[in-house]
Amino acid sequence: MGSNVSGKAYALTILSPIKNAYVAGVACADTVRDQLENWNLLQNSPMARVPQTYLARLFVLDDVFTQSLPGAGALDTVSDFLPAVPDGIRRAALPTPDHLKSKYLVFSIDFHGELEPYLRGMWQAIAPEIQSVWQHCYGFDAVSDAEDFVAYMKKCQLTAALFFVGSNDDPLGEQLKALYLKQEFSRFALESQGLPTAELKKRYQEFIARVKPTDLTGPAWTPGQYALLKHSDARQEAAL
Amino acid sequence: MSNIAGKAYAINVITPLRWYLAWVNKIIFWVALKFPQYLKGLITLSLIHYARWVIIGRKQFPHLHPDQPKEDLKYGYMLFFSNFNGSWDQYIDSFTFSIPGGLDLFWKWSVRYPHSVALTPFHDYIRYNQVETNHYYSAYPLATSNDVKAARKLKAMLIDFDNKWHDAPDAEFQKHYNKLLLGLQHDLGDMRPTPIVSMAAAAVDKRRVRDLRKAAQHTVAAMEEM
Repeated sequence: MGSNVSGKAYALTILSPIKNAYVAGVACADTVRDQLENWNLLQNSPMARVPQTYLARLFVLDDVFTQSLPGAGALDTVSDFLPAVPDGIRRAALPTPDHLKSKYLVFSIDFHGELEPYLRGMWQAIAPEIQSVWQHCYGFDAVSDAEDFVAYMKKCQLTAALFFVGSNDDPLGEQLKALYLKQEFSRFALESQGLPTAELKKRYQEFIARVKPTDLTGPAWTPGQYALLKHSDARQEAAL
Repeated sequence: MSNIAGKAYAINVITPLRWYLAWVNKIIFWVALKFPQYLKGLITLSLIHYARWVIIGRKQFPHLHPDQPKEDLKYGYMLFFSNFNGSWDQYIDSFTFSIPGGLDLFWKWSVRYPHSVALTPFHDYIRYNQVETNHYYSAYPLATSNDVKAARKLKAMLIDFDNKWHDAPDAEFQKHYNKLLLGLQHDLGDMRPTPIVSMAAAAVDKRRVRDLRKAAQHTVAAMEEM
């Protein structure tokens, strides 16, 4: 009934059950969590190497939550607060505690393109990192190549009831080039205010030759780039 | 924990659904999918990169191996994952103030959902059902969703302008350059890193400062020995 696709963007939702086991006295779920936290200390996320990834998150779902606060339903309020209601009835009306029997590795990605090529690309880019995290999950022992990985992930996949794209579904390379152009052209417009037309045109032509707007292999932001390019910084500092 | 990747925040909310109402919720999402005009309110929240709702039936949790215990749940669950710009409070409050009706339509089937108004019980509910992210990655941590949209428009207009007026006579060039700037006045703007772009960037900076400090200490020690 739902759809993981909106335009050319894809919402992949994975729940991989983590083994209820201990290795060297440490629960597999804790090992998975530690490994993911360690990714935070790397120069950049391994996901930066996976083609077409817009955004990705991973976390360990230990359990679900029991709801005990009053909600907005009339019966909730009555059963919780009417002193006339006997305690047994009031307690029976409370939501039942619910618990998972396994912990799950939740992996949620927004990317451009189709599922299978994306997962193959992911395996090719970061297979060692995938293996080190997912080896603690049930059913991953049988995964040894990209095709196994695709099949495994499909077994863990959940379908989105609703996927909302608030920005756009262009290929990542297009988005990064566009962001680079926005940054550079904003600066160019600022610095070239008030120039005589001939000078403006000359500088504009030099600017276009440098930024190459239609060339995706030319200058652009890189995936996961969290600092500005030195060139831009130098220009900004000079402008101050 | 890493809910932040530059200008994006990752929120994960998991709420229980009575199994017989999970279908009602699915139908509401299906209607929203088929008739996008119902998502107009959501579109006004331009701070969202991507968001999704996933409904898992109580017997639909992935079961991959005979050794894995089978789940025996009383409720189905709705997962909500969103990538947005700004702070947690700004995001939750903007939902409440912009689309309270739409929000309630999506969540009202969840057990003990307090509705989006009043604000404090709604905050408490979301916070109670939120799970922290262990690792979060954004391909463009320097950019907001609005930056991504503005950049797409700017790129298209710049290429179009360049195709037509790159070598135009000066007067024509100036006239259309001014038009270009006028058309892009809402889309221009510098993007700078946030104070903490990501845990990774923070760690890299910390290591760099530590290494510089150590190098300075070594230099001082070497000079003192001389």
